Amino acid sequence: MNRRHFLGFAVTGAAGATLASVSYLPPWSSREKTAEVQRKEIPTTCEMCVNKCSIIAVVENGNILKLNPNPESPRSRGMVCARGNAGLQQVYDPARLKKPLLRTGARGEGKWKAVSWDEAWDFAASKLSEVKQKYGPQASIWSSTESFAETFFKNLGLAFGSPNVERHPTLCLASVNLAYSLTFGTVPSFDLANANYIIMSGANRLESFIMPDTVDLIGSTTERKARLIYLDPRFTVTASKADEWYPLRPHSDLAFILALINVIVSENRYDKQFVTAFTVGMDQLAEHVKPFTPEWAEVETEIPARDIRRIAREFSDAAPRAVYYAGRRSSWYRDDFHMRRAQAILNAIVGNWDRQGGMVPNAKITLGELMFLPWDDPQAPRVDEMEKNFPLAAKGDGAYLKMRENILAGVPYPVKAWMVHKQDPMNALPEQSKTLRMIEQMDFIGVIDVQMSDTAWYADVVFPESTYLERHDPIEMLAGIQPVVVMRQPVIPPLHDTKPTLEIVQGLAKRLGLGQYFDYTVEQWNEAQAKELPIDAPLDYLRKHGVWSPPDAPKYGTTLTAEHRFGTESGKIELYSARLKQFGYDPLPVYTTPSQPPPGKFRLILGRKAYFTQANTTNNAWLNTFQPENRLWIHPKAASGIGVRDSDLVQVTSAAGSIRVKARVSEEIRPDCVFTLHGYGKKSQWQRLAAGEKSGGCDAEIIETAWDTVSGGGAFHETFVKVTKV
Amino acid sequence: MKSRIALVIAIATLAGSAIAGSKGNEAKGKFYFRQNCKQCHTKGAVGGEITPLNKKITQWHSYFETGKHGNGKEPLTKYLTPEQLRDVQAFLEAHAADSLQPETCGK
Repeated sequence: MNRRHFLGFAVTGAAGATLASVSYLPPWSSREKTAEVQRKEIPTTCEMCVNKCSIIAVVENGNILKLNPNPESPRSRGMVCARGNAGLQQVYDPARLKKPLLRTGARGEGKWKAVSWDEAWDFAASKLSEVKQKYGPQASIWSSTESFAETFFKNLGLAFGSPNVERHPTLCLASVNLAYSLTFGTVPSFDLANANYIIMSGANRLESFIMPDTVDLIGSTTERKARLIYLDPRFTVTASKADEWYPLRPHSDLAFILALINVIVSENRYDKQFVTAFTVGMDQLAEHVKPFTPEWAEVETEIPARDIRRIAREFSDAAPRAVYYAGRRSSWYRDDFHMRRAQAILNAIVGNWDRQGGMVPNAKITLGELMFLPWDDPQAPRVDEMEKNFPLAAKGDGAYLKMRENILAGVPYPVKAWMVHKQDPMNALPEQSKTLRMIEQMDFIGVIDVQMSDTAWYADVVFPESTYLERHDPIEMLAGIQPVVVMRQPVIPPLHDTKPTLEIVQGLAKRLGLGQYFDYTVEQWNEAQAKELPIDAPLDYLRKHGVWSPPDAPKYGTTLTAEHRFGTESGKIELYSARLKQFGYDPLPVYTTPSQPPPGKFRLILGRKAYFTQANTTNNAWLNTFQPENRLWIHPKAASGIGVRDSDLVQVTSAAGSIRVKARVSEEIRPDCVFTLHGYGKKSQWQRLAAGEKSGGCDAEIIETAWDTVSGGGAFHETFVKVTKV
Repeated sequence: MKSRIALVIAIATLAGSAIAGSKGNEAKGKFYFRQNCKQCHTKGAVGGEITPLNKKITQWHSYFETGKHGNGKEPLTKYLTPEQLRDVQAFLEAHAADSLQPETCGK
């Protein structure tokens, strides 16, 4: 799309919106005639996905021309992906949020009134106060996803007196985080740049998430000829580049891993010296895995026993430069935690911990903290009853799906207000009909976002946040094999009547009588954080460079000393977990043969494309062109059985709901599974490119509610669907 | 019978609240720890570095039960009020060497 077309689209697209305005862009012809071009290059930090790469904005006469990679960052290393480039579209999206909005019609009807900030704050504060007075502060939920400014929003919820800060991890990596935390006391990075043997289960890293470590993986497999073993019911891009692809039976990954451990233990292939020095529970593990032979696993996984045995031998031979990659995905099944634990245990026994090409505990950089006396603790328990349901999980994150179940049931108390920051629970949570029911019973919903998400579409008040290219955020330390501290600063002033999170929070806090907890500026916050950095004038440095990292090369082996205490209960790597047993869970991973779809039904599996960050960027004008329409992958045999041909419209129905989507008939998926992408079929009419059935169905409508029993993470592959031709 | 069950639940709830109430505020404890203790207990300072990781949960518990500072020479209340000490104890125990602190995504 060239600039002239983009402007044309911008005007057309905005015509239907109440707040149409493109006056911020000077006409192309007048820009060409400008005698003196003022060009600046400003370093800042991307926000288009979780990796937070360092970028340099090229700005001419107040317009962002381009976002370049920042070569100074050892984290992003001179790379910026398609999403990173398309961040420019977030700023110039004609349908972005431009002013505070109050709903004037019914929820979801799309009728809005632009109001002043004072009106929006006054309205929200009065509604929140009403709920607090009538039901107590615990009757409010404060939902957020990761962002540099998330702290401010969370703190407002806690200062308000609510225990119900509900973060995103139980829709994300909760089971991985908990499994690795309980085994190693921390969640490590995987040194894909130096590994020689990599096994991945469903982590479609060459297609779903292009980050610098994806490029490490490409380099490893192509240049160094590292071996990649890939397990997935789908033939993905990663499968196409792997040395071996196994379309295993869904939900049998744990059987495969237990069989690998069986071979490595029974053939004495584990690292005895490492296991003796740094782990506990080897005897119990050896006894536990005895029944899980490759022949047993072949029946469960459909992977030949001879291949399982060979892979186990190759993996242990390649150690410590061998890793079973943990993945970057949500939970899949109700026992997901145990599958992740088994991965962690397998990695541990071959001694790849803290070794080059293995798993590396993340290095960190100490930042300072702005000191202020915080609020009293909330008096009520959490509505998701974490202590009772998920006693080992990260309590500060909450458990999203259990929260929704409890709210719908009205237990342990009523919840009547919902504040949301940057997240889109309408798409992020499965079984959208339940989210809509939860919305219906709220007396108040307020959303802070840069765009009219589906959740904002159902809100009562919408606070427009400035985009990441228009605002300061807290500086952030990103831990990793090579940690960095990054700065986000505005590259242009806000184009519209928008504000950064801290100012939005301060406006509300003041009206809620909580102003004393937010009496600082982001500059003061950053000064306090930066003063611990071991460099002169650290903030000036970050403003100029955008990123700072210690000059040392990555360090390996710092935890491999007799004195090192792992952050577990025993102080060692816990192959067997007494803590799990104490809380009533299996102390070693236990496999149960999973149920399979009944005749006429398919297992619904999900995945991501690197153009899209969850449901957030399917409406991005540049990114949407890569894949404007979602389709349902279905195997030719399965399709012919129900009379479906490629591009036919099909109805996909589960116990949660029903959607229509066109079929993509392909041999690239097992006959017992179907697959669809995420972030289409949106309700918000301001997300024109991704809205409605024409873009393809919305997966959140048909995924059933299920969660991993230990971490509380949403289990997204537990749904069986019926497919019929429309 | 129902009313008796309700009474038991009410008493249990009250007891639970009392226990929860007696526990310190971890966030405030972090503030008091940094404001007071860290003046002397940093690397190279007179008291030597102290972090929550210096002890296990039970060790921190015993330390505050004893309530002595400077190798038993003086009471901890010389530096902080009993309420503030409860907050600091809550912070140190929550982050002790053997505490349960699963990592998370983002913050």
